Amino acid sequence: MMSGLNLSLLYTLAWRNVWRNRRRTLVILLAIAFGIWSMVTLAAIMRGMIEQQVRNTINNLTGHIQVHAVGYRDDPAIDNSMPPPGPTMLKVLRGKKNVRAWAARVRVPAVVASERASAGVTLVGIDPEAEQGLSFIAQAVTEGRYLQSPGDHGLLLGRKLAERLETSLGKRIVLMSQDIDNNSADRGFRVVGIFDANTEAAETGYVFVGRTLARDMLKLGGRVSELALVVHDRQDLDTILQSLTNAARGLDIQPWTKLEPLLVLTVKMYEATMLIWFVVVFLAMSFGLVNTLLMAVFERTREIGMFQALGMRPRFILSQVLLESLTLLMIGMAMGNVLAWATIAYLGGGLDLSAFAKGLEWAGLSSVIYPLVAASDVITANFLVIVLGIIASLYPAWRAARYVPVEAITRT
Amino acid sequence: MNIMSYRFKYQWVALLLLICATVQPAYADEATELVKAAIDYWRDVSSYSVMDMTIHRPKWERTMTLRVWTRGEKESLVRVMAPAKDTGNSTLLVDNKMWTFSPKINRIIKIPSSMMYQSWMGSDFSNDDVARADDLVHLYTHRLIGTETREGRKVFIVEAIPFDSAPVVWGKEVIRIRGDYVLLEHAFYDQDMVLVKKLVTLKVKPMGGKEIATVQRMQKTDKPDEWTQILVKEARFGIDIPANTFTLSNLRNPRQ
Repeated sequence: MMSGLNLSLLYTLAWRNVWRNRRRTLVILLAIAFGIWSMVTLAAIMRGMIEQQVRNTINNLTGHIQVHAVGYRDDPAIDNSMPPPGPTMLKVLRGKKNVRAWAARVRVPAVVASERASAGVTLVGIDPEAEQGLSFIAQAVTEGRYLQSPGDHGLLLGRKLAERLETSLGKRIVLMSQDIDNNSADRGFRVVGIFDANTEAAETGYVFVGRTLARDMLKLGGRVSELALVVHDRQDLDTILQSLTNAARGLDIQPWTKLEPLLVLTVKMYEATMLIWFVVVFLAMSFGLVNTLLMAVFERTREIGMFQALGMRPRFILSQVLLESLTLLMIGMAMGNVLAWATIAYLGGGLDLSAFAKGLEWAGLSSVIYPLVAASDVITANFLVIVLGIIASLYPAWRAARYVPVEAITRT
Repeated sequence: MNIMSYRFKYQWVALLLLICATVQPAYADEATELVKAAIDYWRDVSSYSVMDMTIHRPKWERTMTLRVWTRGEKESLVRVMAPAKDTGNSTLLVDNKMWTFSPKINRIIKIPSSMMYQSWMGSDFSNDDVARADDLVHLYTHRLIGTETREGRKVFIVEAIPFDSAPVVWGKEVIRIRGDYVLLEHAFYDQDMVLVKKLVTLKVKPMGGKEIATVQRMQKTDKPDEWTQILVKEARFGIDIPANTFTLSNLRNPRQ
């Protein structure tokens, strides 16, 4: 007769058992909810950090793909310049719908000097129009003005560097570098704009001038050092990379994952950290869960013995305890996810960590973090809790199924 | 009568305008000529000199003896003669390019642009000061801002403002030139027109057939107890210097 026992009866039993000891159940539900909450919330914050770091780096003149002369990446000197993009390459750059923006730049090491100090920088000669939507600089000028054309006579200086050089908007500074014949090339520029960047390194590392002026100063003719582009969707990267490689033989064409190996590594490290965090939280949670179930099973020794004596098979007893555990887990998870969602929605305006901003900047982060929910993280967290939770409850369930009816019934 | 005076007035105005128009550029030209003449006078067609360079610091002071050859505006060679420790250290300048040679490491090093604002041989002169002395003519607009009298001689005060594109960090430079073209003072101002450093001639003496500044001192305004002084001990001008003096090979293997 018991073989025909249906799930709904088992479930009714499990459900009623769950609420037999309300306080204990609430405590374990809170533990599960808190565990899930911490997993999902923390994952969202970490995702936010990762995404921000990737975006900052890509924004920071990296782009999604860069084209250089072979050798430039090892030695970003003027000798490793290349001719401007030819017709076949322009066809790829202009023809493809998924190329959002691209620009050719002059980018060489230089020294910038004021009356009182000098500093090593990267001189970047830009086409101001083309940098719109490609790199941070188009939006970054907070004092003065942005460059107006490649032939603009002005210079853009980072705020931090301006402080270090003890100079300011409207003053002249001198840029020194080496021209294509290896003679020293220098020129005075007037600071027309001061820019703010996410990181101090970007503010002190770059000096922007018009591309035409940079070429004149370095006697580059039409040549450039670098071509960078961003795509609409990072998924399309490979196809564009392929067509660019076909269009420009003999040039060094790399996606951002190759240009910034450290960043890729950091992302992987974040993901590993996240998984470790998931497992640690789960372990702490599972001890509580196993303990609760063991307790529940122990309390019901007589009852379980009675079921068995009446002919209930051990596997149904096992299922009943597992269902009980599943119910606990599901309710806890629902609570946890709702809590996490509420927290993330609350933090949507950004999590201000400026108290620790120095260390964060070093890691290429901004001081405000915007949590980002990735479906994969939420699924991983929930899946991990359900599957491992069920596996952990196998032990108390197995214990319950193994009771010998006579002993169980006689126990008081 | 009325009409006459009216026309007369106008003629005056026209004449005045004419004078202003002609005098103003002539004034600027005169200042440029003055600076050019002073530099030509100082460098001559060629020169050879021996000088002591004293670097003074609050806790120490050292003196180096230098031999200097120059030819035209673009070529110079400096060799250290004493102390023994530094003997043979040399600097060659050709067309604003600068190389140094150190016998201890037996290497010629081209001074890269990144080092142009660093100190030259530990002194208060920067490599740039040494390499660029003659740019003062070409990269600036000059204006005569006054004259004064020192020891009974007329001294011209010229203000030089660099072009926007000139590789010069200073806001202005003020040069005092004596009537016979001896440079008496060269002051460097930042772009807020605050004095940063000053090269002052402390003594003028006849040497090598003409009056020259024999003692000069370079001093930064914010460091009153640090200075570098140059004392010219011997000088000859307009002499014949072989063309191969200003070559890298001669920098490494001295032939004089």
